[in-house]
Amino acid sequence: MLNLLTAEQIKLKRSKKLLIVFSILVFFPIFQALNSQMMVDHGKELNQVVDTVINGATGILMIDKNGLTILLVMSAFISFFIGEEFQNGTIRNALSLGRSRLHYYLSKFVIAAVVSLLGVLVMTILGMISFTTIFGFGEIPEVGNYVSYAFESFSTLYLLILANVSIYVMISFITKNSGIALIWSFLYTIATGFLPDIFQQTEHFKELTYWFTETFLFYFNFADPGHIARFPEMIVVSILTIVISSTIGILFFKRTDIK
Amino acid sequence: MSETILKAMNISKQYGNHKALDKVSFEIKRGMIYGLIGENGAGKSTFMRVIMGLITVDEGNMELFGETDRKGLQRARRRMGQSIETPGLYPDLTARENLRVQAANGGVSEREIDHLLELMKLEHSGKKKAKNFSLGMRQRLAIASTLITNPEFLVLDEPTNGLDPAGIVEMREIIHRLVTQRGITVLLSSHLLDELSQIATHYGILHHGKLIKELSKEELAREARQYIELETTEVQRAVTVLDELGIRDYEVKNQHEVNIFERLDDVATINRSLVKADVDVLRIGTTRQKLEDYFLNLTGGKTHA
Repeated sequence: MLNLLTAEQIKLKRSKKLLIVFSILVFFPIFQALNSQMMVDHGKELNQVVDTVINGATGILMIDKNGLTILLVMSAFISFFIGEEFQNGTIRNALSLGRSRLHYYLSKFVIAAVVSLLGVLVMTILGMISFTTIFGFGEIPEVGNYVSYAFESFSTLYLLILANVSIYVMISFITKNSGIALIWSFLYTIATGFLPDIFQQTEHFKELTYWFTETFLFYFNFADPGHIARFPEMIVVSILTIVISSTIGILFFKRTDIK
Repeated sequence: MSETILKAMNISKQYGNHKALDKVSFEIKRGMIYGLIGENGAGKSTFMRVIMGLITVDEGNMELFGETDRKGLQRARRRMGQSIETPGLYPDLTARENLRVQAANGGVSEREIDHLLELMKLEHSGKKKAKNFSLGMRQRLAIASTLITNPEFLVLDEPTNGLDPAGIVEMREIIHRLVTQRGITVLLSSHLLDELSQIATHYGILHHGKLIKELSKEELAREARQYIELETTEVQRAVTVLDELGIRDYEVKNQHEVNIFERLDDVATINRSLVKADVDVLRIGTTRQKLEDYFLNLTGGKTHA
């Protein structure tokens, strides 16, 4: 597995797609800080519930503020990162050397997880710095121990993202084509963004609402004490999503004929 | 007796209603250059994928380097290299980087890279990305990539596909060098028997997923019949001379050509007799039945090989 990870590292060093991912994740926090400044200059008052990030302290919630952007960027990156291996036939190079499919799948997942972690870290750090520079560090009301809160909220938000990353990896291994993976990943992201709201309005599917990570990512306020109390639930849903999607992905991949 | 590298026993693979492989069995021993020949869709690539563990089989067993169980086969594949169909290269990486990736995949050192680039005449490719390589360069890089793990058994699927005549000769020389200098056993496929005959030591003919014939180089030479090809402006008179010489096994192909299937070592005598009888001989010489014709005869004739 370490050998496969080393190979991935060599590929990523020259990857333009990775560069684009990081460029977007670097651009957004800086742009949003400047945009917020402009809005304030035009008389708008920033509201944490609506704007999510309003100062340096709330900058830790950059993932929450940019949830959809991160998911779309990561889904595109993963679709190409895995789909092209099938399309270029390079997947044969590793598998024909007797590398196990389980290890191959996990190496791709680990790389996708590391790239998304680095991406959201960069985004969060830049968000905190730029918002602190413009609006000061400030505070989050009703949060006593900021360091502990920052760690918990960031970890939870990252896990929610990781659960989706795991779904995208699964989709890519099932579809074996970057274009098709991209479409399905996009549809999944959009559908699970809307579905919870629809489920909420039904009698039978109401309970399903909180089994989608997007429910938390898109509809929860991570600075709200009531929602902060549901971090453990979010972690459980994320972990379950990762385990189930990875299991399905690995089982499919093990049965897949490689062209 | 030399060691068995690969033994396939009744390998079958079905896609829907189409039988891609139908109880294929054969054996490859160390040092062989085994040429797998068949028309497009005969099952050559499918069989190679089976060997490399890229697709599952519906039926049959395989032995690789003496290993038969799943884990053992996985271990055995680390002693192999493959280039199946299109060269599996990373288009945005250079030749060197492609080799580094494969070295990492195989868990081997990068020491061999310079030597392999030199061996495949890619040492001057520098920062040029694989996507900008010519097909010949890509094929050579694909082979270099298979060699980085120092394999004992190479599986090459149509390695000359799309190459120009010079590229084909070069690829043939490379494969020859690998066999003679490194002692590598090779399984290679082609849909052109003529081309394979210049390199392979053994042949397996696949047709509609079935292995219909196996033969050695010597057997192929015997079976692909030799004959004397005579070209003249006066076929009628030439035939009379042949009759006078007691030659019965010949075939008048058209108004200018006659193929003679006996007294193959007597070309000089036949030529002399024709000249003595004032028959203009435009060309005479021993030739071989076209291997492609032989292949077509075997596979039923209609399909182009």
